[in-house]
Amino acid sequence: MTSIVDGSRAAGRAETTGVWFVVKKTLRKPQFWFGFTMIVPLLIWYWIFSFWPIIQAFRMSTVAYKLLDPANSPFVGIGNFLKISQHPLFLVSVKNTILWAVYSFIFHLPLAMLIAVFLSKVRRGRNVYQALIFVPVVVSLVAVSLLFKMLMDPEVGQLNKLLSSVGLPELQWLSSSSSALPTAVIIATWKGLGFYVVILTAGMMNIPSELYDAALVDGTNPWQQFWRITMPLMGHTILLITVLLAIGSLQEFTLPTVLFGSEGGPGNSTYLYNMLIYQEAFLDIRFGTATAASLLQFAFILAISVLQIKLIRPSWSY
Amino acid sequence: MAVISEARPARRRLPRRILISQSLIQIFLLGMVVVAIFPFIWMIFASLKPFKELVESRALLPETWTLRNYEEILGRVNFVAAFRNSIVSAVSVTVVSVFTSSVMGYIFSKYRFVGKEVLFTIILSTMMVPFAVIMVPLYITIANSFGLADHLGGIIVTGFYTAFGIFLMRQFMESIPFELIDAARIDGASEWRIFFTLVLPMSLSPMSALAVFVYLFNWDSFLWPLIVLNSQDNQTLPLVLAGLRNLWWTRYEMWAAGSMLTVVPVMVIYSFASRYFIRGIAMTGLKA
Repeated sequence: MTSIVDGSRAAGRAETTGVWFVVKKTLRKPQFWFGFTMIVPLLIWYWIFSFWPIIQAFRMSTVAYKLLDPANSPFVGIGNFLKISQHPLFLVSVKNTILWAVYSFIFHLPLAMLIAVFLSKVRRGRNVYQALIFVPVVVSLVAVSLLFKMLMDPEVGQLNKLLSSVGLPELQWLSSSSSALPTAVIIATWKGLGFYVVILTAGMMNIPSELYDAALVDGTNPWQQFWRITMPLMGHTILLITVLLAIGSLQEFTLPTVLFGSEGGPGNSTYLYNMLIYQEAFLDIRFGTATAASLLQFAFILAISVLQIKLIRPSWSY
Repeated sequence: MAVISEARPARRRLPRRILISQSLIQIFLLGMVVVAIFPFIWMIFASLKPFKELVESRALLPETWTLRNYEEILGRVNFVAAFRNSIVSAVSVTVVSVFTSSVMGYIFSKYRFVGKEVLFTIILSTMMVPFAVIMVPLYITIANSFGLADHLGGIIVTGFYTAFGIFLMRQFMESIPFELIDAARIDGASEWRIFFTLVLPMSLSPMSALAVFVYLFNWDSFLWPLIVLNSQDNQTLPLVLAGLRNLWWTRYEMWAAGSMLTVVPVMVIYSFASRYFIRGIAMTGLKA
């Protein structure tokens, strides 16, 4: 559209023959009609399914929502926010969610980095290894949850049978309030790791091999190469991964829900923030407090993302 | 051999060091593969065992092979309907959103109009909003304005556009030269023709990447279908599978059979197309 319009002539004519001429000329362009028929549905869809719900969410969070007569819901200001913060499970769910995110980082990042480094260095069978390590990502999360719930059953599960046959003490896995959360994050890691491995490996394969050759000539060992070449040059990829990981783990819902049901593991030990929002909204049908809770989550995730970008954004790239 | 190695000790040492490190890497990766794959192999055999044996035995292979689990589960749960629902919703969302993303990527990268950058920025910033924020208003819209509560359409229509897809396709299409498009215009090709015969064929690689991404996401989607779809016949596979937990409390052989029914079709597709899956994820990581 831009390049075939002769700018000076179009402008000159527009000045002599007026605005209406420009409009008519635009209307005659095939580009205009193509763009028009494509952008209008986009605007309509985004208005209905994205912009309007977001606006509604802000409005809804300030009223005591009446299901049968929404237009007359009384305004309560920040009442919903106060109410959700006094919910008996609010602090528990916040604590669990932050713990979940912290465990996610601890379990995902070093292991994904290690596998990616080895995948980028291996000379044979890289594609096969990558394809097989990626398998859990493709499989339905619900099936994975059921699978591990079977394997980790403290009485009849295979993992405890394995432990006892090697002479190790049997573990409670998902059945005790102290180990349920980290165990669930291990399952999430098992399921999600391949995704991050593939992104990291692609980033590492993109680093020019001349850099490693030069470093080798200078007599560096692999450890130095990793910290002085790989890590600095992977800055953008690592930033992407940490942001994705934080956003994803702070919104976790499916895995704990399928593993433990909507009330979360033994003694609410895996009751996460999104489960609280879901319960408020669709089990207790309190739309106002539910959206207020979700806006708090929004603010928190936004703050964390900005913080991550500020802290680890590399100042340069290659 | 010995003579050569004595003459050039430095050259002999290097390959051996590489050989050792390569073998260690191979062993490590093999271990990771076993960790990733073994639970599935266990599940295959578990689904073929009777309950008593599954609970008591330590062996991987069943002593009595049986298909009764599958018979029972297919008799009780409508897996065929769940399968159909999952495929219909995931495939239609993928087809529509890959198309809309490509068109909008093309328009945002090659067209010029008032408010383009503002619109693009607003669309991108919707990605930052957690789903929990819009799920209640969105459900009210779907249920009240469209009458799509407990209807498959309710989870399809919400997936027609994806900000991430538009972003990805725009990133790629910036690299298509203007000259090509202008040449086609001078030759008298319509905008539709330019898009379908020139731009789309050049963009197949990011499109397949996006398709894989959108498909995986929708096939595995749980929270939104859980909100929209209530009756058993309308539910997608993840919901039906999660329901097994309540239907057969601790009857693990049924869980295994149900999981197998959902996992195997995906694995068959994956075994043919794993390359596209991995390239898709890798590309989105590099582009974003």
